Amino acid sequence: MLRSSFLRRGYNKVAGIFGRAEAKKQDFPVLEGHPAAQESAEVALESRVTVQDNVKKVMKEFRIYRWNPDRPDSKPFLQSYHVDLSECGPMVLDALQKIKAETDSSLSYRRSCREGICGSCAMNIGGTNTVACLKPIDGDTSKPTIITPLPHMFVIKDLVVDLTNFYQQYKSIEPWLKTNMVPKDGREYRQSPADRKKLDGLYECILCACCTTSCPSYWWNPEEYLGPAALLHAYRWICDSRDELTEERLQALTEDERKLYRCRAIKNCTATCPKGLDPADAIHKMKTKHMLSQPMEMVEIM
Amino acid sequence: MGASRGPRLSGLQKQVLSLYRGFLRAARCKSAADRRQIESIVSAEFRRNSNQVDRKNFLYIEYLLRRGKKQLEQLQSPNTESLSQTKQS
Repeated sequence: MLRSSFLRRGYNKVAGIFGRAEAKKQDFPVLEGHPAAQESAEVALESRVTVQDNVKKVMKEFRIYRWNPDRPDSKPFLQSYHVDLSECGPMVLDALQKIKAETDSSLSYRRSCREGICGSCAMNIGGTNTVACLKPIDGDTSKPTIITPLPHMFVIKDLVVDLTNFYQQYKSIEPWLKTNMVPKDGREYRQSPADRKKLDGLYECILCACCTTSCPSYWWNPEEYLGPAALLHAYRWICDSRDELTEERLQALTEDERKLYRCRAIKNCTATCPKGLDPADAIHKMKTKHMLSQPMEMVEIM
Repeated sequence: MGASRGPRLSGLQKQVLSLYRGFLRAARCKSAADRRQIESIVSAEFRRNSNQVDRKNFLYIEYLLRRGKKQLEQLQSPNTESLSQTKQS
């Protein structure tokens, strides 16, 4: 072994004098004594250089809303960033991560799961409210993509908005199981598959706030109107067969005309939901349930 | 902003003053040493903002009011004992 490496080094020195071709083999000190590996590593290097020469850059412009609370006199503005899409993941969140990592680390946004299940990265992309981790970047490089925070919400910094009112409204509908009786054998609360199917399309809500912040009725009355997300969850508990206080829940929602009946069937919520849910339908069903639970004379008047 | 504390206060000024009063009331419920600490930090912050922030910069004043209300809610909880501040270099 020693002799062969000694011979090899001697040969390399001599070859180095006569020509530079063998010098490349010294690029991989870690592969000393493994000539086959050194050769394949060399081939890999050469092909990488060829690929890099051939790959073209695809530059896409992103115009992102910026506002810094630490600079009191600054007004919000749209800042332009240019990202090479050939070196970036497919989703808008990947582009934001790339901008924050390489260009501007002061860009602030919320993100967590990067797979569309936590609902943290909800923002307005190109006019529509979605979660950034599920929205593919539009490949058309002639037009910039405009990214702004969720509309009509107070901005804390850049793309981060204040969602405390949203969460308090979700809390106010009491999203837990309410029963009077203990199950017969003292174990789980049972439910038939048909009843479980009624919850499909309701339980998947990730509380991203996209629907609520797209509702004009919520824009004008955020303190009173609960918003499509909270109402979707309210319906999820109302139509759960295991929950026994259905009438009380419905009565709590409809005691004044502001929590549920501010909905005007605008349907922006259904159009914008990134998970494809239908809050407008749930709200309509709750209104129907309420109307049918009232005495017949009142229904006829309606 | 300190100069106009005469008979006619604007709505925004009243909100700022009521927030300040809220902080002082919350400080009363804590222990004596913590109370002094809270009062010194809060009054220094309000005084600094009143000197630095322009009277007409409603956007920023409303942002500070919202932030202050949240901090006040945290302070009012019985689990919180006192405030402290670290300097940003």
